[in-house]
Amino acid sequence: MKRHNITPRPGWQDFANSVGFTFHTIDNEPYWDESAYYQFSLQQIEQDLETPTEELHQMALDLVPDILADEQLLRQLAIPEQFWDYIAASWRSGEPHLYGRMDFSYDGKGPAKLLELNYDTPTSLFETGFFQWVWLEDQLMRGQLPQGADQFNSLQDKLEQAFAQLPLAQPFYFSSVTESIEDKGTVDYLMDIALQAGLNCRYIQLEQLGDIEGQLVDMDGFPINGLFKLYPWEFMLQEDFASTILTSKTQWLEPSWKLLLSNKGILPLLWQKYQGHPNLLPAFFADKQPVEAGWVKKPLFSREGANIELVTASGQRLTEDGPYTDSGYIRQELAPLPKFGDNYTLIGSWVVGDSAAGICIREDNSLITKDSSRFLPHIILD
Amino acid sequence: MKVRPSKRSQKAALIFMLPATGLALNGCAEKQVEAQVFSTPDECAAFYNPPEQCQAAFAEAAQLHPKVAPRYANKQECEADFGPGQCETAPEQHQQGSFFMPMMMGFMAGQMLNRGGLAPAAGQAASQQTAAATGRNPVPTQPLYKSRDDRNTFRTASNTAVASQPGSTTIRPSAVQPKPAALARRGGFGAQAAQRSVNRSYGG
Repeated sequence: MKRHNITPRPGWQDFANSVGFTFHTIDNEPYWDESAYYQFSLQQIEQDLETPTEELHQMALDLVPDILADEQLLRQLAIPEQFWDYIAASWRSGEPHLYGRMDFSYDGKGPAKLLELNYDTPTSLFETGFFQWVWLEDQLMRGQLPQGADQFNSLQDKLEQAFAQLPLAQPFYFSSVTESIEDKGTVDYLMDIALQAGLNCRYIQLEQLGDIEGQLVDMDGFPINGLFKLYPWEFMLQEDFASTILTSKTQWLEPSWKLLLSNKGILPLLWQKYQGHPNLLPAFFADKQPVEAGWVKKPLFSREGANIELVTASGQRLTEDGPYTDSGYIRQELAPLPKFGDNYTLIGSWVVGDSAAGICIREDNSLITKDSSRFLPHIILD
Repeated sequence: MKVRPSKRSQKAALIFMLPATGLALNGCAEKQVEAQVFSTPDECAAFYNPPEQCQAAFAEAAQLHPKVAPRYANKQECEADFGPGQCETAPEQHQQGSFFMPMMMGFMAGQMLNRGGLAPAAGQAASQQTAAATGRNPVPTQPLYKSRDDRNTFRTASNTAVASQPGSTTIRPSAVQPKPAALARRGGFGAQAAQRSVNRSYGG
């Protein structure tokens, strides 16, 4: 695993804008950063990332029935009691799931360490599946990358396959928060792929979703029988339409049982069941103790690095503010992100259905990866 | 030479995110079909239609009426659109009382009435074939309304004008598909996003 500088493609910003990737630069700071890339060997990709991703995914799935059968665990994960039966039914009836992303601390040597599962609303999908892919093709064509360079990125192929094969209601609706251009970009990309897979799909703003006698409806009052929502389940269960979820005949992506896996509480549960697994970090439900050196404290529900507190082995304390202060916490042993130059590097590993589907790389100037962290492309070359 | 499978997608193409391609989703020219419009079953029968078919079409429309008629929070707002004495209470209640809706002023018969002795018009023959081929009539039988300031025109529940006199008319089927009355509660999701508005994205 190496970091190389490379000349950005002239005019890439115009191309990005033309395909709706307008958030490539945010507040004059680069989000998409192609001034460098990472190189992996095929062995690093297959042995250290792809195989562990699929193994960890199965381990996580295996925990779902354990959690559903144990009221104490459901309480520890802060799942509201009135939804226990609903979530259990969604698991038992085999409601299909589409995608997820796990985040790793990995430096090219030794086992990748699982930091968390983003299994409900993972983003940076378009950047990974499309823009990074095009970058590789372009730079190969320009002779800027060695011929034979590949990329671990079968995301779009696998998503298209999933949309073609999953038993989904039609028309299938897609929804995101109106004000988030970035989330609309992610949903547009998914709809584009679904369309290519032959799905009849429609967009509705999340805030415009309607309820008629307990059934979720679109703007014309027609029932919504299938909905992809780029919005966290734990939010939905607290809002006015929470009761609609229980009565509406709607197939959800992700299904509600994914709430158990996107929960940081899955990390201590994985450690309890598979203690000592090379890809797992010791993790526990947090008590009121202050964070010790060499540990990280994370809320059960949080995103984009928000409300994370960590203390390095040498005692340096780092905190990230955020809006997720109303749930429990877990603590996890710190696996510091590797440093390449001045950059701390995190690897996101995608799962579509039950298959590993590629990686994305985020860089930050701090040990905590955030929504502002830069996205860098990668290649595979031995 | 050993060929190993690529680790990346065979293609990563976009269709509708590319502005240049512009999908013509609504570009198909839709054929107009014939339907019949009447104020009452008797008027329908007077147009050489079998009385029992007129009665059945009227009953079907009347049954749909409370499901699709536009809703108003009070009688005044309803009468402002449909005229004094032209509104009735809707089946639903809200906190301050009943919803109101306009009275049904007529009906549109979608299925072909067997008009005694009259040859069907050319358009009707064509749409009859279409209906037989697809197994359903493209124009559903439904109630019609008349607005306060235009007492001649028959309108659907969603305010599409369909005819200004009884008898046959031609319409685009997509314009007259009945929809549930707009009674949906909205805004039930998204409150947490507004409250925690810190991040750019609600994903992760």
